Amino acid sequence: MYFPSTHAWSRQETLGEHMERRGVSRRDFLQFCGEICVMLGISQALTPRVAEALQNVRRPSVIWLQLQECTGCVESVLRTADPTIGDLVLDLVSLDYQHTLMAAAGDAAEAALHASMEENHGGYILLVTGSVPLEENGIYLTIGGRTGLEIIREAAEGAAAVIAIGACAHFGSVQSARPNPTGAVGISEIVTDKPVVNIAGCPPIGDVVTATVVHYLTFGRLPELDGDGRPLFAYGARIHDQCPRRAHFDAGQYVEEFDDEGARKAWCLYQVGCKGPATFSPCPIFQWNDHTDWPIGAGHPCIGCTERHFWDTMTPFYKRLPDVAGFGVERNADLFGAAAAIGAVAGVAAHAAATGVHRARQKKAGIPLPVVPDVGGGAPAPSKPSGEEESNG
Amino acid sequence: MEAGTLAPSESLGRGVPVEYKRVYLWHWPIRAMHWIAALCIVSLVVTGFYIGKPYFMTGGEPSDHFLMGRVRFVHFVSAGLLVATAIVRSYWLFVGNKYERWRALFPYHREDWSNLWLVLKKYFFVQPWKAPHYMGHNPLQQLAYTSIYGIALLQVLTGFHMYGLAEPGGFFAVAFGWVGPLLGGTQIARFLHHVLTWVWVIFLPIHFYLTIRADVLHHESRVTSIVSGGRYVRADIEFVDD
Repeated sequence: MYFPSTHAWSRQETLGEHMERRGVSRRDFLQFCGEICVMLGISQALTPRVAEALQNVRRPSVIWLQLQECTGCVESVLRTADPTIGDLVLDLVSLDYQHTLMAAAGDAAEAALHASMEENHGGYILLVTGSVPLEENGIYLTIGGRTGLEIIREAAEGAAAVIAIGACAHFGSVQSARPNPTGAVGISEIVTDKPVVNIAGCPPIGDVVTATVVHYLTFGRLPELDGDGRPLFAYGARIHDQCPRRAHFDAGQYVEEFDDEGARKAWCLYQVGCKGPATFSPCPIFQWNDHTDWPIGAGHPCIGCTERHFWDTMTPFYKRLPDVAGFGVERNADLFGAAAAIGAVAGVAAHAAATGVHRARQKKAGIPLPVVPDVGGGAPAPSKPSGEEESNG
Repeated sequence: MEAGTLAPSESLGRGVPVEYKRVYLWHWPIRAMHWIAALCIVSLVVTGFYIGKPYFMTGGEPSDHFLMGRVRFVHFVSAGLLVATAIVRSYWLFVGNKYERWRALFPYHREDWSNLWLVLKKYFFVQPWKAPHYMGHNPLQQLAYTSIYGIALLQVLTGFHMYGLAEPGGFFAVAFGWVGPLLGGTQIARFLHHVLTWVWVIFLPIHFYLTIRADVLHHESRVTSIVSGGRYVRADIEFVDD
C-alpha cells in the first residue's frame, strides 16, 4: 500500500529513483509492469522493456483539465482505499494542473497552468474530463473568465497527446442527451488535428487510464484505437462475450425481476435490460475497486456507458429495447407491432366478409361470374368482357 | 399439358365451352427461392421473437442446457439461407423472363401507375370490373413485394451488424460495422431489426388471404403458379403484360 507523500517527484529524479525513495520494492514494481502488459494485451516478454522505460522516465508534465463534468472520473481514477502503484503513477504525473486537487487557487492556479503550457510546449500530456458546451459561444462553461472552448483549444495546441477520460469527454454524456441544451460535445470534436484517445465509461476504470499513460511513457506513442478512438486493448471485446453470466444466457436462464429466483441464482440480466450485448468494455475482466466487483457481478444490468450517446440509445436502462418516442412509456414497439398484426388479421377477415356480401349481392342481381369461370360455369359473356363483373388482378 | 389451348371438356357440360391457355411464369429457381425463403422467414420470426424476449426458460445447471444457444444457431442458419435465396433472386433479376426481371420489381410504364389506382380500388369493391388483368404481378403486388424485399434487406443489414459485434475485426464487423453508427447506435439497429419483424407478421396473413382469394373467387390459379410455375388463363381475356 502506498500513500500520498509529501516528497514530491522532482524534475531531476527518474520514476525508478522516486519509487525507490517511496519504498516501492523491485519485486512489486516488476509485478506492476507485468500486470500492465497483461492489460495492454502485449507479451509478458516485454515486461523488462516496460520496466526499463518506466523507471527511466523523468517526470512528464501532465495537465488535467476538468470541463463540463461531475468530478466522478477524478474520483474513480484517483480515490481508492488501497492505492496501487498504478494510482501512484497517476498521482505523480498529475501534478502541473488539476484544479480540484491542486493547492493553488484562482489566479495562481491559472498562472501555473500557463507556465506549464509554455515551458513544456509540445511535450505535455493533456488529460481532459468533461465536455465542451458550444451553444451561445460556450458561455455555459467558463473557468477564470474564459470559456471551455478557448481553454481546450489553447491547451490542445501544445499537447503531445490528448487523452479524453470519461463519457463527457468522449461524447458529452448526460448533458449532451436530447435535447442537449448547452450544445455539449466531446473533446474529439474540438481537437481534430491530433489523435484523441477516448477512455470511455461513466466513469471509466482507472486501470485503463493508467495502462494508456504507461503505454505512452513506454513506447512513446498512444495505443491502437478502435473506430471510436477507444484503446483496443480495453474496448476490443463486448461485455456480453466476456461475461461470467454468459452460460446462463446460452442456457436460457434469465432474471425477470430483481427479487426473483433467477436474481438470487445470479442468472443472466438480459431481460431486465442488460446492454452487455451492445457494449464494448473491459469491465468483466479489469473490474472495479481493486478488482473486487463490477455492476453485473453485483446483480445490476450493464447500462452501456462506454458507448456513444448511451443516455439516448441505451435507455430505458431496465428494458432491452428503446421505447417508441412520442407515444408514452407504456406503449412500446411490441404493443404497436402486435396491434398492427391483429389489425391486419382483422382487416383480412373483414375484407373476406365484405367479399362474401359483395358476391351475394352480385348473384342476387343476376351478375354471373368471376372473369375466369369454371368450364361451363355459366355464360362467358365474350361480347362484353368489361361488363358488370369483378375482375381478376 | 403443353402451353396453348385447353380443349373444353364437354363432359362438364354446364354451358358454353371456353378456351384456356397455360402460361409459364416462374422458373424453378424462383419457386425454390420463394419456398425456401418462406421457411426461413417463418423460422426467423419464431426464433427472432424468442431471442427478443425469451418466453421459455430452463432451470437447473446452465451446463445442462443450451436453449438460447440453439435458438440463435437456428436463427443465424436461417438468415444465411435467406441471404442465399436473395443472391439467387438478384441474379435472376437479370436472366429471368419478363415477369421475373428487374423491370417487374415496380410499375414501369405510366399505364401501370394508373392501373395501380384501379387495382387498389378493386380491393375496396369500387368498380372492380375496371381493374386490368396482369399475367405476372399487378402494380400493387409489385410495390408490395419490392417493399418486402427492402424490409428483408434492412433486417439483414442490421442483423449482420449485430452478428459482427461478437467478433471485432472479423468479416461481419468490418463489412457491416457502418450500419450501427449510421442509424445512431447499435441499440437503434437492434430496435429496427426487432420492429421490422412485425412487418412479416402483418404481411403473411394478407399475402395468404389475397392469393387464396384470387384463386377461390376468380379462379386465377395463382397458388399453383408458385408450385408448378404456370397458370391457366382464359384465352379471350386481354392481359396488360402478356
